[in-house]
Amino acid sequence: MGSKVSGRRQRRRIVAAALVVATVAGTGYAATTAAGKEQAQQVTLTVSLFGDFGYHDLYKQYEESHPGVTIKESIQDYAVHHSNLAKSVATGAGAADVEAIEVGFIAQFKAQPTRFVNLRQYGAGALKDRWLPWKWQQGLGSKGEIVGLGTDVGSLAICYRRDLFQKAGLPTNRTAVSKLWPTWQAFVETGKRFQAKAPKGVTFFDSGSNVYNAMIGQVNPAYYDRSGKVIVASNPKVKAAWDLTMLAIGAGESAGFAAFSNDWNTGYKKGSFATVTCPAWMMGYIQGQAPATKGKWDIALTPGTGGNWGGSYLAVPAQSKNAAAAADLVKFLTSPAAEAYVFKQTGNLPSQPALLKSKAVSGFKNPFFNNAPVGQIFATSALRLKPQVIGPQQGAIQTASSNAIQRVEQKKQTPAKSWAQFLKDVKALS
Amino acid sequence: MSIVPYRLRTSARPRRSRGHDRAGPLTYVGLLLLVAFSVFPLYWSFVVASHDNSALGAYPPVLTPGGNFRENVDRLFNAGIVNVDFAKALVNSAIVASVVTLSVVFFSALAGFAFAKLSFRGSKLLFVVVIATLIVPVQLGVIPLYIEMIHFGWINRLQAVIAPFLVTAFGVFLMRQYISGAVPNELIDAARVDGCHTMRVFWHVVLPAVRPIAAVLGLLTFMNTWNDFFWPLIVLTPHNPTVQVAVSTLAGSAYVPDYALILSGTFVSILPLLAVFLVLGKQIVGGIMKGAVKG
Amino acid sequence: MSDGAAAAPTHVARRRSATRRRLRRLDTKLSPYLYIAPFFVLFGIFGIFPLLYTAWVSLTDRNLLAPTSSFIGLQNYSELLRDEYFWNAVVNTLGIWVLSTVPQLVLALVIAHVLNRSLRVRTFFRMSVLLPQVTSLVAVALIFTQLFGYRYGLVNYLLNQVGIENVNWEAGRLSSWIALSTMVTWRWVGYNALLYLAAMQSIPDELYEASAVDGARSWRQFIHVTVPMIRPTIIFTVIISTIGGLQLFTEPFLFQPVKSGSTGGSGRQYQTVSMYLYEKAFGGTQFDFGYAAAIAWCLFLLIAVISFVNYLLVRTIRSADA
Repeated sequence: MGSKVSGRRQRRRIVAAALVVATVAGTGYAATTAAGKEQAQQVTLTVSLFGDFGYHDLYKQYEESHPGVTIKESIQDYAVHHSNLAKSVATGAGAADVEAIEVGFIAQFKAQPTRFVNLRQYGAGALKDRWLPWKWQQGLGSKGEIVGLGTDVGSLAICYRRDLFQKAGLPTNRTAVSKLWPTWQAFVETGKRFQAKAPKGVTFFDSGSNVYNAMIGQVNPAYYDRSGKVIVASNPKVKAAWDLTMLAIGAGESAGFAAFSNDWNTGYKKGSFATVTCPAWMMGYIQGQAPATKGKWDIALTPGTGGNWGGSYLAVPAQSKNAAAAADLVKFLTSPAAEAYVFKQTGNLPSQPALLKSKAVSGFKNPFFNNAPVGQIFATSALRLKPQVIGPQQGAIQTASSNAIQRVEQKKQTPAKSWAQFLKDVKALS
Repeated sequence: MSIVPYRLRTSARPRRSRGHDRAGPLTYVGLLLLVAFSVFPLYWSFVVASHDNSALGAYPPVLTPGGNFRENVDRLFNAGIVNVDFAKALVNSAIVASVVTLSVVFFSALAGFAFAKLSFRGSKLLFVVVIATLIVPVQLGVIPLYIEMIHFGWINRLQAVIAPFLVTAFGVFLMRQYISGAVPNELIDAARVDGCHTMRVFWHVVLPAVRPIAAVLGLLTFMNTWNDFFWPLIVLTPHNPTVQVAVSTLAGSAYVPDYALILSGTFVSILPLLAVFLVLGKQIVGGIMKGAVKG
Repeated sequence: MSDGAAAAPTHVARRRSATRRRLRRLDTKLSPYLYIAPFFVLFGIFGIFPLLYTAWVSLTDRNLLAPTSSFIGLQNYSELLRDEYFWNAVVNTLGIWVLSTVPQLVLALVIAHVLNRSLRVRTFFRMSVLLPQVTSLVAVALIFTQLFGYRYGLVNYLLNQVGIENVNWEAGRLSSWIALSTMVTWRWVGYNALLYLAAMQSIPDELYEASAVDGARSWRQFIHVTVPMIRPTIIFTVIISTIGGLQLFTEPFLFQPVKSGSTGGSGRQYQTVSMYLYEKAFGGTQFDFGYAAAIAWCLFLLIAVISFVNYLLVRTIRSADA
């Protein structure tokens, strides 16, 4: 049959292809195992992060001063990184020697301190005074175990659009603007003033959740009391923050965007909102998303005391086979010199008061933001923030609150109904 | 599948195109719309990849390519900037997808042949079991499967993304359906009378006959393996990545995602797939048109 | 194969043919089991263990981070049955599944039928419907969330041009289902069309000619010849789509705003059962693995029941024998 001949050729081709693949795979496998054997005599430290922390040159420095140590870094997406960490911690395998943990996840990882090396064993306890008190606190386990050492902080300020403020008849000078809102009530009142004369389609702020989270960050106690109990339902301060947010939304001050959504990104370009709660890293974000708005932005202080959004810790999982070396690397990467270097590289704000007050930080100005002394402003905010008690379900409670606020902004529920559901969700967490 | 009695043809005749059934202009318009609909997201990811980072959120949306493609692709392969070896990721994905595809096609044909044409005790029950395994939700097995990978020492090795997928129930199902219809019993009986043992029957009769469906299954398997997202993310690290892991690394800029870079990565990751697609695609069409043994 | 045994003595020849007959019998008896063995062995290693492990874990209160866990019997299941978010996820899953499967398979049938005809540039059309399968998931997510954005999405932009107001696709229940169904249909319609096309190609021409003689035009041929002849493939795609559709995870998961957890929208309006499972196991801060395992088993049961019902339903399509 005619087809039989071509069929045989076809099959030969398939077999040939299979052989090629097998050979390639086999050689690759052999090569990697050979290379693996070579490195066994030295120490290889693996570092796993969820973004570029600016550590490249620091690794080189460390490797030079510690011969025999090789550092390998890997980066994964924020959500993937943290869920992989949970899975590695649960199964006892697969974690790196040094793991970055973001502030949104630190609470539940430190609730299981036995899963991580207590850095007190490696002398980290003596370093306590380096850090901002609230940052240090957040990295401790319930019995004072040092689970993570702080890297950067987000801090918090209010980024505002000078041109939109001008159109609405508000002052544009940043000192004057900071004076507009000494409290959050005043912030909401300013919003009403803004909305009265705002250009069409522009609202005062981008997202109710961002404002609410900034308020909650200043409240103490907030979601947890000292004994570790969830007090969302009974804490009048939480309800007060909620009510104020609802008031602002009801007055039409919120654009209703979800942070990091496509619409939010576009909102920057289109100038759909006049203010946004701004951590230090948000500057880079705005510059990337809306380069055409250069010079139109400025930065003022937040109402109330300081604030924080973001920032991370470095921890050493208990399963690491190089705990001592890893702990040493962590101390190095969070040393004042390292954090100062990182600030120059990436603009990530150091978490240490000495650095925040240093010339390098306080003298830092950003031309995109009308040459505002951003280093000074963010440092002030970080220094003013007071420690807050956080608990393991902190992140889940925050997600529930964001959803609750979004439901109101999307007009799916009344504030009262949404609050009731929020309380129910919080209760289900315990 | 019930087989309507037909004459057994000994020579493969190309199918006559049904002249009375020519497609009208309206059909072409509909098809063009369909093509536009199918291609648009791919096209648009190229558009974003060829601009700078601010293009994704532009309004009205940007619809034409910009000039930054070369630059973005250069950044992609510059390991110093992106912290992952993208070329290695492409090679890994090629290895994984090829091995899995060949294995799935071969072993599915083998099992499908057994279920379709060989009579043995328990064949019906076992086939139902095969179908039942399709129902197991994927998310269920992640943690236990990960534990197994630890035991085998396959974490961060390519075996972890190859071994669990070497035969699939979908492939067996597909092959069985096709073989029971497209391979006439007469041919197999004829081969047996000639003294062939079962493996020869498989090799000389069944394999050639399943070329069209093998091409389809091969293509679909290759694409699915190439695009497999969640499992490689769990079991591999950026030091030994497949292409999807590498893309996730690109997306891992802590707070400020560089969409132009990410979509450049996804677009480049598609190109080998497109190549396979174009090659095998012709095979599918050719294979389907020739229809080696039918009647 | 037979060899020339004429020269050998007859008793050797007889023994040789006896051995050959025994081997032949062994071959016929054993080779089927050998051929299906690879699948079952692999499934035994990579399928059974996770199944059993998850069954066991669903009877405990295992939390991924906690070092110990204890046996709690069917408590997870009884809690699950009283959990309104679980039932919400079930409703969402069924709704999205119906919206994304029924139109998709009908469309796939029509497309396959059209592609089956004599067309110019046939290859081009046949291959381009598969392009959605080639597009990476990251790109798909980014693009569809942009398309269905509330204030600045392309779909709303086009709707505005014809005078329709902006629809908040992600926020509403039905609207999010429609957006997701569009995503799923876009991705899978070519895949299913290809399977139907492959099946249609094996329908003998004589059947069409016979029905043409009877005066049937293209549409009637479709209903009375094509569909019954490819009924097994239709059953196949219905079952596969059911299983895949009820397990739907990737599309709704990627449709969420970035960093918003795994709740499927602020009111859980498009959270599928798989997403709820993920939320309990990995998402956010819960890591409640025992509960998630119970969800997984309930999903398994749900899929089994509905697949079976579907199978019965599709069988009522008049078969080629009727």
